[in-house]
Amino acid sequence: MAVQDRDSDEDRTEVLTLDELIATTTDPEPAPAEPSGPTPGGWVARVAVGLVLAWAVLCYPTNVLSPFTVGGVEANAVSEAVIFAVIGLSLNVLIGYVGTISLGHQAFVGIGAFTSAYVVTEMGQEFFIAALVASLVGAAQAALLGAVSLRVTGLYFGLITLSYGIMTQESIFQIESLTGGTAGQAAPRPLGFESDFRYYYLCLLVLALVVFIDWRLMATKGGRALLALRENPRVAATWGINVKAYTVLAFAVSGLFAGLGGALLAHRDLNVVANPFDFRLALVFIMMTVIGGLRNRAGVVAGAAFFALLRNGELLELLRVADVFAKPPISLTAEVMPLVLGPVLLLLTITLFPGGFGQLTSTVGRWLRGGPFRFVKADKEVQITDVRA
Amino acid sequence: MSAPDLQPERTTLLETDGISIRFGGVQALNDVNLRVDEWEIVGIIGPNGAGKTTLFNCITGFYAPTAGRVRYRGQDVTDLPVHKRANLGMGRTFQNVGLVKGSTAGENLKTAQHLEVDYDPLAGIFGSPRTFDVERHTTDRARAILDLMGLAHLEHTRVQGLPYGVLKRLELAAVLATDPDILLLDEPGSGMGPEEAEELGDLLLQLREEFELTIVMIDHHVPLVTRISDYVYCLNFGEVLAEGLPDDVRRHPEVVRAYLGDEATDDSEEVA
Amino acid sequence: MVLAISLSELSRVLVLGIVNGAIYSLIAIGLVLVYKASGVFNFAQGEFGTVAIYGAYAAFSMFHLPYGIGLVVGLAAALAMGLLTERFVIRPLFDAPRVTLLVATAGVALLAIGVEFWRTANNPLRFFDAIVNSPSSLDRVSPFGVAVSDQRLITLAVLAAAAVLLFLFFRSPLGLAVLAASQEPVASELVGVSVRRISTITWGLAALLGGAAGLLYAGGAQFSPGLITGAVLIPGFTAAIVGGITSLPGAAAGGILVGVLQALGSLSTFESIKGASFVSVFVVLLVVLLVRPQGLFASRS
Repeated sequence: MAVQDRDSDEDRTEVLTLDELIATTTDPEPAPAEPSGPTPGGWVARVAVGLVLAWAVLCYPTNVLSPFTVGGVEANAVSEAVIFAVIGLSLNVLIGYVGTISLGHQAFVGIGAFTSAYVVTEMGQEFFIAALVASLVGAAQAALLGAVSLRVTGLYFGLITLSYGIMTQESIFQIESLTGGTAGQAAPRPLGFESDFRYYYLCLLVLALVVFIDWRLMATKGGRALLALRENPRVAATWGINVKAYTVLAFAVSGLFAGLGGALLAHRDLNVVANPFDFRLALVFIMMTVIGGLRNRAGVVAGAAFFALLRNGELLELLRVADVFAKPPISLTAEVMPLVLGPVLLLLTITLFPGGFGQLTSTVGRWLRGGPFRFVKADKEVQITDVRA
Repeated sequence: MSAPDLQPERTTLLETDGISIRFGGVQALNDVNLRVDEWEIVGIIGPNGAGKTTLFNCITGFYAPTAGRVRYRGQDVTDLPVHKRANLGMGRTFQNVGLVKGSTAGENLKTAQHLEVDYDPLAGIFGSPRTFDVERHTTDRARAILDLMGLAHLEHTRVQGLPYGVLKRLELAAVLATDPDILLLDEPGSGMGPEEAEELGDLLLQLREEFELTIVMIDHHVPLVTRISDYVYCLNFGEVLAEGLPDDVRRHPEVVRAYLGDEATDDSEEVA
Repeated sequence: MVLAISLSELSRVLVLGIVNGAIYSLIAIGLVLVYKASGVFNFAQGEFGTVAIYGAYAAFSMFHLPYGIGLVVGLAAALAMGLLTERFVIRPLFDAPRVTLLVATAGVALLAIGVEFWRTANNPLRFFDAIVNSPSSLDRVSPFGVAVSDQRLITLAVLAAAAVLLFLFFRSPLGLAVLAASQEPVASELVGVSVRRISTITWGLAALLGGAAGLLYAGGAQFSPGLITGAVLIPGFTAAIVGGITSLPGAAAGGILVGVLQALGSLSTFESIKGASFVSVFVVLLVVLLVRPQGLFASRS
């Protein structure tokens, strides 16, 4: 908008460009001074808790600096928690950011797993190349579904994802040359990360990378565009946002993370079979993401990890309560516990505690950073909403 | 402030050429010809259901007309999608306020600058130093516009639950953030009393001056529209009933008849 | 493809398809009812069936009640589940986005399955008696020379009865109120229709239909947790979508159609295509969703 002369008016205010206007605007008021922060004692407590949490994640599962000895199997179980966290973040992009539902997400993960295994075993490539290929294949599938979602929305799209998931299971996963039949496809670990302990760190690294990408995506214009188009696509369009392109992009990102998670799963198990990648797994993924709290990264990670550990029995072992529930008359064995507790938590989250685990992580996170320890109230309901419908 | 003379050298910014649109069995618009010159304020009035918002939807790209073309700066934009028209300089507000209610005012303003933020999404993900600079600039700009509209204190406040009048001003701020050349305002004065409508009129005139805007506004406040418009169209049943200088249109017998019995908030309606 | 299908095989498959289709129709009708009332795809519809089975089984094996009473107990269990779901899950989420409700119904289904696993952990596979169990009744009537068991005949009879009852119901004042409430909840409320009561009644009906479907399906076969959800829900959904999600007659017809299509997939000519009967249902679903989402029988476009 350039300054221009206009003869017709006598007294005219000075025409400014917007940037000039910014230059002349006084600096914004600094935020009002916060009430005084925590006491030194408070800070000591925070640092201590922070250290304990860091130790629990970084050291305990791998016997580093640990008075407790943990076996290899346990490290593998915790790796699964980390991988589920990656998958949870992937699903969060679809359910939380875009506002659609994916009832076939296990297909992305499964295809990622088989792709990575295939690239390493049959094509003789390095794990990192394989993981990259798996991610890209995941992204491509998801982008395709994203394009479909532009045409078919809401509940109907959910049914399409459901069909996609189950059809993948019945057809693609049955192709023996790709999936190795009942014996499955071998998936050796990369050099230097063969031990369960080291593999755990590899998974943590990948999780950190995914969290970083997710954070940067949402903190920049892409993320803002997604949030806008989720809630109000007409306004987003008038602000110049290409709703269709961003939707497909979001799907691609989701598929990227899912494929990556699949690759990690494959090499954790050292062998991939098609069986686990069924519709029930899709529901597990949805449960853990919703319980984690949508659009809340830390919550999703916590929820997914919790669920994974519950599912493989590790959580109950850790808490030493496995036997308590398994005895009659309760007879709730470790296998059955997640089948009951999961849906209960899901229903509680949807109806009563919309923030899910995110409410907990936000509370703790804020406290750790020096804020008060006050329970963060979830201000909106669990919004899985596809307004494009 | 007196209306600028309509000079022959002034470019036509927006025109619609025979716009017609049909929904099922209803002819919502029929051969509507509209012309808006640069820096004009054009008012569009008419009873409810006359097709005013439908016309906006055709102009901005939400509807595809069954006949007719839309031209912007001489370029035929009839087949362009909404976001591309925004890119060309069309800004628009909505009857039910067009904002992202789940975000803060500041975030809304930053989102609205989408077209101005010139790093591509991938660079944004990997956080180059340039993106940080651009982000900071975007935030500063958001603050400045909020300040301009007297809403700076709401930068970190979630939009949901704010009073209606504030929302309308915020929506205006957001559309200004898109750096438009033409503003299509859909009932900016709705819900306002006469004093507020007068202030709105002053604000629009001021914005036109300061940002060199062209404004097309739909509203039911006939005094407001009459005062600030350079040219007025009256629509009824999807057709242009009358057009011309504000006072002429207001006194047009057809226009008066169209409004009789309507709930227009105008109480100083002139009878011929 | 060599179409060497014998007439007897074809007719056998068709009859099987129609009978299965009748069960899908019952589920589909329940789905349509809930969709009209609450605007959501009820993922728990299948579990109404499984819960009925477990309820009836508990009546037989634990309380040694007669078969007929056991069936009623099963239906009552399904009804209870439906009403509880409506009260504690659907009603609080009245204003929530529809996809949230979908996830919630999935949660209800999962909870039911989890509880089923929990209580039968030591022995998940059980056997459910058919309605009429004597050997001579296994192959009674023979249309086209095909033997049809009593169980299957009863299934068809139940569907027919349900269709007639529903037809009459929706002509009654209460039924009309249900229809009105599904189309215009606010206006209905204003003229004195209690939308809450309608919601309760609809879910109760859907639960009964689901329960009946489950009891019929399981007759004379083994059952395990999540049976109906695994085997019947997806075809039921497909049937509802194909019929037009708001059309009750469409759902009934869609069920038969899906049943027949699925049965055709099991013909020996398609043996080489892995999972043909399974995949055929999905292909139908996908095609309908992509090409004509409003279903084949809906009048509005």
